[in-house]
Amino acid sequence: MQQLNDIVVVGLGNTLMTDEGIGIHVLCLLMSESGRHDHIDMVEAGSSVMSVVHSIAGRRKAIIIDCARMSEPAGTIRRFTPSEVESTKSLPHLSLHEGDLLTALRLSRDLGEHPDEVVIFGIQPETIAPGDSLSSTLQERLDYYLETIASEFHSASHTPAPGTAQPHFESHIPD
Amino acid sequence: MSKTIDINVHHVTRIEGHGNIVLKASDGTIEKLEWQVPEAPRFFEAMLRGRLWDEIQPIVCRICGICSMSHSLAAIKAVEDAMGVVVSDQTNKLRILGHYAEQLESHSLHVGYLVAPDLLGVKSVVPLASSHPDAVKTIIAIHRVGNQWMELIGGRMTHPVSLRIGGFGKLPTEHELRELKNSLEETVPKLEVLADLVLSLAGNLPAFERDTEYVALVQPGKYPFYDGDIGSTDVADPVDVHEFESVANEYVTPQSTAKWAKWHRDSYAVGSLARYNLNADNLLPLATKTAKAFGLEKGCCNPYMNSVAQIIESVHVVERALQLIDELLTAGIKPEVPHVEPRAGMGVGAVEAPRGILFHRYAFDDDGRCTSANVCIPTNQNHANIQKDLEALVPQIIDREQDEIRLMLEMLVRAYDPCVSCSTHYLDVAFV
Repeated sequence: MQQLNDIVVVGLGNTLMTDEGIGIHVLCLLMSESGRHDHIDMVEAGSSVMSVVHSIAGRRKAIIIDCARMSEPAGTIRRFTPSEVESTKSLPHLSLHEGDLLTALRLSRDLGEHPDEVVIFGIQPETIAPGDSLSSTLQERLDYYLETIASEFHSASHTPAPGTAQPHFESHIPD
Repeated sequence: MSKTIDINVHHVTRIEGHGNIVLKASDGTIEKLEWQVPEAPRFFEAMLRGRLWDEIQPIVCRICGICSMSHSLAAIKAVEDAMGVVVSDQTNKLRILGHYAEQLESHSLHVGYLVAPDLLGVKSVVPLASSHPDAVKTIIAIHRVGNQWMELIGGRMTHPVSLRIGGFGKLPTEHELRELKNSLEETVPKLEVLADLVLSLAGNLPAFERDTEYVALVQPGKYPFYDGDIGSTDVADPVDVHEFESVANEYVTPQSTAKWAKWHRDSYAVGSLARYNLNADNLLPLATKTAKAFGLEKGCCNPYMNSVAQIIESVHVVERALQLIDELLTAGIKPEVPHVEPRAGMGVGAVEAPRGILFHRYAFDDDGRCTSANVCIPTNQNHANIQKDLEALVPQIIDREQDEIRLMLEMLVRAYDPCVSCSTHYLDVAFV
């Protein structure tokens, strides 16, 4: 079996539903930067949220990129940990099949497979509707998302000891 | 004393997408009983028109996060049918191998994460991680093998990227196939553990039966998922897949945004139990042994037993996959370069998705651009049957307590493993 890297970046979303696919669009850009992130595994989980449980098992750090409704202006990117949010979905903890990422992460934690650190980058959508391209609001900010997320895992790759907490910050859209 | 029942399950949990159950009754008289699907249509078929022949699979594989291999294979087979492409024995075997991965992945997800909580009396799999950690770890391990298996054949855990019209973009190596074989051999005892767990709880599955027409792919001497004609338990002669519209007879109903289907009766059922009822004679030995342990007879009309049939199929696909890997290794993996000459035409692809028979039909112009598309999914074929089951079940349990009735109705819907829509999943959060 392939050797796992300490850090994994997981992209979630459906690129057929406009901004819902932002996690995949950003991940593909990261993957296209040949040679820059060789020490990091990149996983496209698409809309199979339960795959996240497997993708993050055995890692030191997991970075998850996903579309997130956060009551922020469209295009905002926020960094948070699972403990810093609660799901406001109508069925937040009853339906794994509905695809709640936070529930999947809780299952991973309860099974003892959770990485020392899990960071989520949520990006506020402008549009979620059938269509295979991003809204112009998110499209124009792709480079910013890329650099924001890349700086997170490059700082993590230099962390000397497992379990070391990363400094908390929030990244909003640039002015 | 008068008794009023007012059940409005909005939405049913532990299914894919959103569906509602509404039951209103007074003094034993049913006033309203509906299985409702309120999801907005996704219009994927419209998205396909105007696309080139080789763009179809990368799009349709994202219709569903769980059935992405089935949608890919149905689409690829339809395009190949339209363009007269014949693939090698190696390609067919590798595709079947990848398709089995999806069956294992999906069935373990459904039985382990979605049905087991009902049998153990909890609301989700999460509390089971504390109360039944060994069982959950076994389920996770089986699901993980399915994921890794999908990644090897499809190039990704979901939404496969290695499949091509005419062949594969990237082939697994013989070394990787040997590793997969080892992994699957280690999975067999885990499946036995899962089967024993469900068997020990099978008494909690309601003993409800309704005479039903079952529909699935059939092929002489086989338990097919990837090939075959359309078989029905109501008639002896199967129908060619090119005639699938005359089987599904899709129609609309006011209580649902999804289409419904019917063939020889008011409704029919697809899925694991349908496949079992049509093809159980062709199961491999360990799967047959598992079926006997559950006492599942061919011809069973208890929809709750669909989950048991999923366990039996999980064993079967692993058994058959081990045979297929041996056949591939004996022949040796040979490099192939897919070659397609686009042409005008129309084609159909049919496969068994985990939830039942799935049809794709496409037409192309001279440049190989899609001019029409029709995707007929298994869950839509089951909606009418779910309604008919509810109508037969409720009078039998109308005297029970409302909470018990509600649970039995929810379990019935969940047994079908409906995939109403998993095309969106975004986070919806508040900061605390």
